[in-house]
Amino acid sequence: MLQRTASVNNVEMDSLAIASVFQIGDSNLIQGFSRAIAVQREVELFFDNEGNFANYPIFSEPLPLIPISETINMSRQNINPFIKVGNIDIIGVSSSSIVHLGNTNHVTLETRVKHIRQLSPKK
Amino acid sequence: MNFHVYNRDISVGAIKVSAVASSSLFLVGDAETIQLASTFDTPPESLIIGPFVPLAPESGSR
Repeated sequence: MLQRTASVNNVEMDSLAIASVFQIGDSNLIQGFSRAIAVQREVELFFDNEGNFANYPIFSEPLPLIPISETINMSRQNINPFIKVGNIDIIGVSSSSIVHLGNTNHVTLETRVKHIRQLSPKK
Repeated sequence: MNFHVYNRDISVGAIKVSAVASSSLFLVGDAETIQLASTFDTPPESLIIGPFVPLAPESGSR
C-alpha cells in the first residue's frame, strides 16, 4: 500500500540529549523507555552516589496498556501523498524522546518519574 | 469497525515546540499503532521538610 511522504523544508533543533533520536526516514518499530528520580532541593547540595530505583515501587509496578480488543479494518487512500511542513523549530529533545520525520508502524513509549521535594526547615 | 481514511492535502506552515521530553514522540508521518504510557508520583511523604539526607545510594547488585 503506497505510503505518504513527509516533506519538511526546515528543521531547527537546539539540543538532542539523553537517548533521544532524530529520525529522518521511515521506521518500523519504535520502543522507548525512560525513568527518573526528580529531586528538587532548596539548597544546592549534590551527593555523588544517590538514588536507587529499586526502593520505589513506581519503577516496578505494572503499567497496564488497555489492549485493543475490537477488530478494526482500516482502509486508506492517499489522494495527496504528501505531508508538507514548512518550518519546525524545537528547543529541546530529551530522555528517550523521538522526533520522527517519516512513517512508522508500531510505537511503544513508556516513562516513569518519581518526584521528591526537599525543603529546608528554617522559615 | 470499518475505518476509511482519505488523506487529502495537509500542509502546515510553522511548528514551534519548546520541548519533546520523557519518552515523547513528535511524528510527521503515518503510524499504525502508537502506545504511550507515563506514570509519576509525588506522594505526601516525598515532600520532605527537614535536614537534607541524601537518598539511599545505588544498591551494589545491578
